[in-house]
Amino acid sequence: MKELEFQDIVQQVEKALQELNIISPQLLREKMLEALATEDNDLAREMLSQVMENYIVAEERNLPLCQDTGMVMAKVEKGEEVKVKGGSLRQALDEAIRRAYSNNYFRKSVISDPFFGKNTGDNTPGVYFFELQEGDSLRIDLLVKGGGCDNISSLGILEPGSEPEEVERFILQELDKKGGQACPPLVVGVGIGGNAPYALYLASRALSRPLGEFNPDPRYRELEEKWREDINRLGIGPQGVGGRVTCLEVRIETYPCHIASFPVGLVCNCHVFRQKTLKW
Amino acid sequence: MEERKEVILKTPLSVEEIRFLKAGDKVYLNGFIYVARDLTHHRLMEDLEKGKELPFSLSGSVIYYAGPTPTRRGEIIGSVGPTTSSRMDKYLEYFLQRGLRATIGKGERKKEVKKLLEKYGALYLLACGGAGAYLSTFVVEKEILAYEDLGAQALLRLKVEQFPLLVAYDMQGGDIFEEGKIKYRNITV
Repeated sequence: MKELEFQDIVQQVEKALQELNIISPQLLREKMLEALATEDNDLAREMLSQVMENYIVAEERNLPLCQDTGMVMAKVEKGEEVKVKGGSLRQALDEAIRRAYSNNYFRKSVISDPFFGKNTGDNTPGVYFFELQEGDSLRIDLLVKGGGCDNISSLGILEPGSEPEEVERFILQELDKKGGQACPPLVVGVGIGGNAPYALYLASRALSRPLGEFNPDPRYRELEEKWREDINRLGIGPQGVGGRVTCLEVRIETYPCHIASFPVGLVCNCHVFRQKTLKW
Repeated sequence: MEERKEVILKTPLSVEEIRFLKAGDKVYLNGFIYVARDLTHHRLMEDLEKGKELPFSLSGSVIYYAGPTPTRRGEIIGSVGPTTSSRMDKYLEYFLQRGLRATIGKGERKKEVKKLLEKYGALYLLACGGAGAYLSTFVVEKEILAYEDLGAQALLRLKVEQFPLLVAYDMQGGDIFEEGKIKYRNITV
């Protein structure tokens, strides 16, 4: 049995949340620079330039990259031989969010109940997905994204035996309708299989991985690349003003599925990709 | 292609000075603008319906759809980028009828919006989403005018200098999103 200290988890998650809301990762900056070089539309270039200015201002002035500092999502992979001393993992995550959001002037955007709730005042709770595994390691993938891009999430119930082209068509149609509202260029998560709710979870889980971590199966890797190129042919462009870069990455996750079902979950992340992975 | 215009505007706006602007033109906005999003609009309407006077004049006004982060001590404002405008579409006509001249936000809006802008003579302006830290540098003054209990949705008055915007919908039905997509699309869906 491996024992982890409650406070150690709290402190590391708090620090990660503080950083990811203010400092954008190097790889994202490089992708945005590449996008700028690709775009010939003045309007798209204008938007991308402001996005890059934003990285600098946020870091220099210690300001959140985006005013929507989100509802924190954490995907937790916990080994069965891991024990947290002094509290539960859920409590640790809540406490880390409470501290990070209260101490850093981040926006508190969580209400305690959809109908009857009030703002919780400290951005707790987050949305947590716990996955039990064998072994003695703990991995937490933190993802912070705003409401705007979550609002274009979509579930497709396709025909059993659907081909990749049909899944792609569903994704292109959905993004064509709503992509411009979600602050493109987007990171696009696609979950295929499981059951309907699980497909959406897979899509969301795909987004919680670091940038540049693609599907290890070369067949899916190829689809990720093809779908990214085709999404970019939609012409939506940065902030929807028209252009060649609508999508930075596509991530596909799959799961076995029922012979009578073919659920496809689509969940997107705006260009302010705020993610960190912690491992114990 | 027609050359894009760049103009400097100061609030309050008159129909005459914005009528010639086209989707895609760049606007540097100066003067006072009012920050209001979902619940703020709801409250403003409630107050107007009760016959109360608002703490600002709607005539020639500009509303910014946003909800900033809390302000650090010694700073003017936190991060303050635009939120998705389409959520406020249902409130738009009510405020246009009372003199609202432009709204600032991000993303495409419902079809009816363009007709309303033509009818009342108003613009929809696009601010860069996800650039809230950068956009905060154009704010030189902030005052909470009402509904402080709403937190990030309180009604704010901001004084802005050279706030960078693009005309998203003009008064003639021009639409930055549609025009951009048509030009750059090379796939059928």
